[in-house]
Amino acid sequence: MVEESLEKLLIAVVGLVMLWALFRPVSGFFWRMLRASRQSDRVLIEDGLKHLHDCEYKGLQCTIQSLAGALSINGERAVRLVTRLEALHLVRWDGNLLVLTTLGRSYALRVIRIHRLWERFLADQTGIPEPEWHAAAEKQEHRLSEQEANQLASKMGHPRFDPHGDPIPTLSGELPPMKGKPLSELKTGEFAEIVHIEDEPETVYAQLVAEGLYPGLLIQMLDQSNGKVRFAAQGEEILLAPVLAANITVEPAKRLPETVSGTSLLADLQPGETAEVVNISRACRGLQRQRLMDLGIIPGTVLQVGMRSAAGDPVAYHIRGAVIALRREHTKQINVLRVEENQHESQ
Amino acid sequence: MVEKRSDRERESILSTAASLRWEVGNDLQTSLMESIYQNASRISDQVVIADKSKARLAWEHRLEWLLTSRWTGFPIMFLVLAMVFWLTISGANYPSQLLSGLLIEQLYPVLKTFGADLHLPWWLSGLLIDGMYLALAWVVSVMLPPMAIFFPLFTLLEDFGYLPRVAFNLDSLFQKAGAHGRQALSMSMGFGCNAAGVIATRIIDSPRERLIAMITNNFALCNGRWPTQILIASLFVGALAPAGLASLVSAAAVVGITLLGIFLTFATSWWLSNTILRGEASTFSLELPPYRPPRILQTLYTSLIDRTVFVLWRAMVFAAPAGAVIWLVANVHFGGSTLAEHLIDLLNPFGVLIGLNGVILLAYVIAIPANEIVIPTILMLTVLSSGTPDLGHGAGVMFELSNNAAYMAVFKAGGWTLLTAVNLMLFSLIHNPCSTTLYTIYKESGSLKWTVVSALLPLLMGFLACYFVATLWQL
Repeated sequence: MVEESLEKLLIAVVGLVMLWALFRPVSGFFWRMLRASRQSDRVLIEDGLKHLHDCEYKGLQCTIQSLAGALSINGERAVRLVTRLEALHLVRWDGNLLVLTTLGRSYALRVIRIHRLWERFLADQTGIPEPEWHAAAEKQEHRLSEQEANQLASKMGHPRFDPHGDPIPTLSGELPPMKGKPLSELKTGEFAEIVHIEDEPETVYAQLVAEGLYPGLLIQMLDQSNGKVRFAAQGEEILLAPVLAANITVEPAKRLPETVSGTSLLADLQPGETAEVVNISRACRGLQRQRLMDLGIIPGTVLQVGMRSAAGDPVAYHIRGAVIALRREHTKQINVLRVEENQHESQ
Repeated sequence: MVEKRSDRERESILSTAASLRWEVGNDLQTSLMESIYQNASRISDQVVIADKSKARLAWEHRLEWLLTSRWTGFPIMFLVLAMVFWLTISGANYPSQLLSGLLIEQLYPVLKTFGADLHLPWWLSGLLIDGMYLALAWVVSVMLPPMAIFFPLFTLLEDFGYLPRVAFNLDSLFQKAGAHGRQALSMSMGFGCNAAGVIATRIIDSPRERLIAMITNNFALCNGRWPTQILIASLFVGALAPAGLASLVSAAAVVGITLLGIFLTFATSWWLSNTILRGEASTFSLELPPYRPPRILQTLYTSLIDRTVFVLWRAMVFAAPAGAVIWLVANVHFGGSTLAEHLIDLLNPFGVLIGLNGVILLAYVIAIPANEIVIPTILMLTVLSSGTPDLGHGAGVMFELSNNAAYMAVFKAGGWTLLTAVNLMLFSLIHNPCSTTLYTIYKESGSLKWTVVSALLPLLMGFLACYFVATLWQL
């Protein structure tokens, strides 16, 4: 009797472990199976065209080796892929370089359009965390039809740029020429705006996101020495290895540079302090950004920090006559200028 | 010719516009939005005159500090909520007895005689009076009084401005589970009635957190399940302890089940927000309105109409047909025994496997409209299937008993053990929501998918929990 029960218990424990393995968040086998799409021919063709277009756009040279590397397939498979692409009149050889035909280019642009539209959609209208956008769009670009992509675009008001700062090709396949220069080419003391953060490889991108960098951020180059790039952003100093810095593209700043220094994050203010909103960081997107603006958190609004909740987070703020509690994760994305209390009173 | 030229001009203007759109850059839409908001605020600053004398007063600051500071915030919250529950449970006792005396002990026999005077066939009077009327009377007498006390109290606290502070204090806990602080409120409301709790999730203005609150509301032990928990705990768990401690031990068992429910709320919220609800959009902001004296009459009126009557009506709509089903199941015969007995035989092996029995499972299936009628249904089915009709009131007639010894006699006849009792307490906490709640979830979420998830997820969890306890028990 006891042994029989033990056996049943064992079965139950094994069952529970299996359930956990299947359904645990993110890495559960079931979710992975759901995510894993088959590496079909179509996926390879479209990814290959994307790589070729990427080379063309950046003015790089594309060979079978670079293709194999970009798609992580072996040389033999890459050769077969290129033969296939040639047969479909999507690419041709120019000497020993691979180039897109007109047909191939427009196909590539269609795929890129869906990819970037989908990233925009994930960023603005879902709660999917930033490091997962690219991988999700990699899958979606092979699934969405052109018609669905157009519907998506018109629903979002025809966005021009994806959340990484890459332009989204128009329906007719137009793309502006590449702009900006690498971060490392900035001179000491120069102000600039980040216009693009490369989202591949994923680990590098995740580190840049973790540093709080995003397209639209204003920075000031401090110096480059000992193989490190040092710059100021949002009143903080950021130190990056050249490998990381190479994935950031910048352009001379069009906006006022004084917002780079002297500002603090709303989250860092103490109860009782008063501050004026400078801006909401671009990293705060979609519904939450709209909610903050609905509450009156827009440049120029003066607000006062009220009390903390019993557990420390969230904190209440006096905004335009109302008391609103906000979480730290969001007040970290609001840049403010401290206002001296008496100065504010006299206004 | 002229048309040709203007066509070409239009083309060139359009293409210039298209290329300029690339130039304005990444955040055209955000800057547009921002300038619209800035304009709106400039206009409102010009035309709205703020009354400075309405600034928050000193006593408000002190009260605010008292209710939200680290050392006083939580104790006050527990005291207030405990007070509300105590008032509800003790205050509902008397009117509940009054109603059930009126509807079940007095009106029911009158209706029976009336039916006999009209020479109604036995099956019609059984279906209408024993089935539908009794189920209705039961739901009304058990459900109405606690709701009529709980909801107005809760609405008064809301009106005064205290409930948003509770959400404010508890938010960091809910944030860790991927939920919204206001879920504390819909959860507390769920202790009164899950259907009302689901409606209360309307205050959560973020789509993902609202779904989480709806699906997990079921783990707040509702008003219809408190009596079951208290009855079983005092009959079986309390009996384990020496006489002096019996009531303390059974109370501890009920509190334990409640705490388990709260734990499951957080665990399930965490799981949902990290798996199936991961991609849903989410926002957070919580307004803390100024304190104000509650408007008592208005509160009474709105809470009675919006919450009590609304929920009660929905429950009655579901209870009447269920009463008919319960009566039919006990009275339709197939090959010598009733439909109920066939179903019980069918469900029994699985029931025994998870430490319950066929009667309990069947009761949970046919008494799905309201948890209030689960115990009466279990009693009726037990009497029917164990062949001890003298303990009950006839096939298909739900009943309650007046003392613990009588309950024990029926449960003993049904072959219950301590394991059955413990698992019934567990299953009563962790099973599908009643059909009233499910319908409300469907109405509120507008989605069949999330309604199915809300029904199946807790049901599976309940089966698992009962199976584990049963297996461990037999070691």
